[in-house]
Amino acid sequence: MIRHYLKLIWNRRRSNVLVAVEIFFSFLVVFAVVATAVYYASNFRRPLGYSIEDVWVVSIDSNQSRSPWSERDESAIIETRQQLHLAIGELPEVRAIAECFTVPYGNGRWGNVAKIGGREVHYSRNGVTDGFAEVFGLSLVQGRWFSREDDAAGFEPVVINEKLAALAFGAGDPVGKVFPADEPGEAQKEQRVVGVIRDFRQDGELALPEGYMLIRVRPGDSFVVSALGNIVLKLRPGTTVAFEEGLVKRMRAVAKDWSFEVQPAVQMREQKLRDGLMPLIAGGVIAGFLMLMVASGLTGVVWQSVTQRTREIGLRRAKGATVPDIRRQIVGELAVVTTLAVLPGALIVAQLPILGAVQGVTAGVFASSLVISALCIYLLTLASAWYPSRMSTKVSPAEALHYE
Amino acid sequence: MFRSYLKIAIKVLLRRKFFTVVSLFGISFTLVVLMVATAILDHMLAPYPPEVNQGRTVAITRAAMFGERTMWQSSPGFRLLDRYARDLPGAERMSVFTSGTQAYAYPNGSKVNLSLKRTDGEFWRILQFEFIEGAPYTTEDVESASMVAVVTRTTRERLLLGKTAVGLTAEVDGQRFRVVGVVEDVPRLRLIPFAEMWAPYTTAKSDSYKAELLGGFNAIVLARDRAAIPGMQEELRSRLARAELPDPKRLSTLVAPLESTFEALARTNIRSERSQSEQLWLLMVGGALLFMLLPAVNLINLNVSRIMERASEIGVRKAFGASSRTLVGQFIVENLVLTGIGAVTGSVASVVVLKAISVSGVIPYAELHLNLRILVYGIALAGFFGVFSGVLPAWRMSRLHPVQALKGAAR
Repeated sequence: MIRHYLKLIWNRRRSNVLVAVEIFFSFLVVFAVVATAVYYASNFRRPLGYSIEDVWVVSIDSNQSRSPWSERDESAIIETRQQLHLAIGELPEVRAIAECFTVPYGNGRWGNVAKIGGREVHYSRNGVTDGFAEVFGLSLVQGRWFSREDDAAGFEPVVINEKLAALAFGAGDPVGKVFPADEPGEAQKEQRVVGVIRDFRQDGELALPEGYMLIRVRPGDSFVVSALGNIVLKLRPGTTVAFEEGLVKRMRAVAKDWSFEVQPAVQMREQKLRDGLMPLIAGGVIAGFLMLMVASGLTGVVWQSVTQRTREIGLRRAKGATVPDIRRQIVGELAVVTTLAVLPGALIVAQLPILGAVQGVTAGVFASSLVISALCIYLLTLASAWYPSRMSTKVSPAEALHYE
Repeated sequence: MFRSYLKIAIKVLLRRKFFTVVSLFGISFTLVVLMVATAILDHMLAPYPPEVNQGRTVAITRAAMFGERTMWQSSPGFRLLDRYARDLPGAERMSVFTSGTQAYAYPNGSKVNLSLKRTDGEFWRILQFEFIEGAPYTTEDVESASMVAVVTRTTRERLLLGKTAVGLTAEVDGQRFRVVGVVEDVPRLRLIPFAEMWAPYTTAKSDSYKAELLGGFNAIVLARDRAAIPGMQEELRSRLARAELPDPKRLSTLVAPLESTFEALARTNIRSERSQSEQLWLLMVGGALLFMLLPAVNLINLNVSRIMERASEIGVRKAFGASSRTLVGQFIVENLVLTGIGAVTGSVASVVVLKAISVSGVIPYAELHLNLRILVYGIALAGFFGVFSGVLPAWRMSRLHPVQALKGAAR
């Protein structure tokens, strides 16, 4: 039967080529939107690794130069920071307090590349103080979290996520192992893994999972001066925004010339999600209208061709074709044209991962996006053929044969 | 003859209403998307107040220091601008200001988040803000580090300053400022002038910025005329090539491009001498064409169908001696009538969509509107669309053999 359809399509090839071209471009548009949505959805389902419930973030700017060569009084900055830490920690609303370099849902990132067994492993790092695990409710899969006991250790204790453990150490037990140094030969304390967490997706739900390392720092390290820009707080449940003004006043009393920015982590999450989803929503709305346009356009085209072929249809019915037969033929012809358009579209799209144009998108995400977009297109074209196919059998065979 | 074409066109459009509505929807929707995109670009880049001198203003918004292995890129620092970018040949005025930070205020227990720029006095002379009360602070205010500020209309409201704010004070970021002027809101996408509050740069909490080559500042330079700009760029480049660097072993080269807002947007590599603005133009035009592809194919399909329905009419006209060219002309006129109507409905819909975007606050302080220039672009585009989508169907129609056409056997 399909061969018969192909013959009919070939006989009307000129208009069918144009229809196929339209379906081909529609497929590309739908695929772009669907692939983005599927990518985000598959990321969204993965574990985040931390909780931001009742967490507030205070970004600190000492208004001092950050460049490595400029002169500044480091000890004064460190002292002020320690006073700040104490002054905030005393507040009755504060359950836990920690300092860190970058924060979840923030814009900062400390990317790194390690050479492991000849491969380059890209991962992110963060420098954090001991309270960090409590603030973000981190749970360890293996080993332990670092603490004050590590003060005397001859190494730098680090906690890594499962993904980085797998990247760096394969299937072996990572706890107690030394993490490969960035640049061999550089004078640096060795970094020893003391624990493994499930994950820590710093950029939030929409981001891809990546290797992540938490490095222990102490508020007195000179690293603090240039890098530790954030204090994170876990507050008593039910603390309101009114707390913020008191907090800022208290901090200003300690450090008059510094600037502070206080935000509940939930708010940062909202902002990040909005920034991430906005382009998808705008693209989705435009694609939706485009598809509405294509669907109504195709309806018009099929309708016209059905009207034009009234005599042919009448002849078929006179020779014994039933109403469902005719309807099936109209819909089937468009389905074949759709297939002829979707196949090259899918072939072109499939080149993207082969060329390496999309990074971090798994084969599963790619394949399911292809299937979903193809289904959408079939649904769209079948819906367009449905109404004209009903119109095609409205005219009785005898009248149809007379039709001019 | 043209009048009879018009009459036929309107009759045909009314005969198959479904086709007409679908075609109009496609044309209008395409126009709305393109006009909204153009309006947003216009809103960002056209010379509207406060950037009235935009044609001869260039800015330094990015700088970098690099060596063989490392690179440090950020906004330029005060020292770079103050020491190397002043008194360029052909420059009329020059202003230095911070790239903008978030400052917090707590009037009556509520929290207000403001974008704050600290500027010099020249800032107010290059950019022409619309003052609704008071006046800008002056170079003397900046030199004496007076705690004064200019705020926007919305900021005046949010800081609960009442109807007239001049003379009142407000505490922002732990500092108390006296308001000297209130200006109309500035769109968020106007990167150079945008802020919600401005204060002298000397009010900064620490003066460590004075020694920095990189970080925290921007500058704009008003040239005497456009022709002076290349000379200024050349001079700045050669001055930076001779600049004293803090760590010449590791970071040996300093660059800071002097360019227009569009060139800054188009720049992908800070080290190249020229911005990639031609590529950005091509990219935008290419993107628009790519977007128009699907609506165009859709319209062509509808037109082909519509024409084939009229095969017998065409057969009659051909049999009576109408040339192919006449028929093509007639069909293009018909299509232009259709796209013309589409252009009108598209423009009306664009006005509604732009208003909705402005009101929704998706783009802060945006006041998007259609102006004559965008309208002309839109109409030109619709005309192009009409001819483009009409030519192929018309050509195919004109090639019909009259005998076949009369029998209605068109394929």
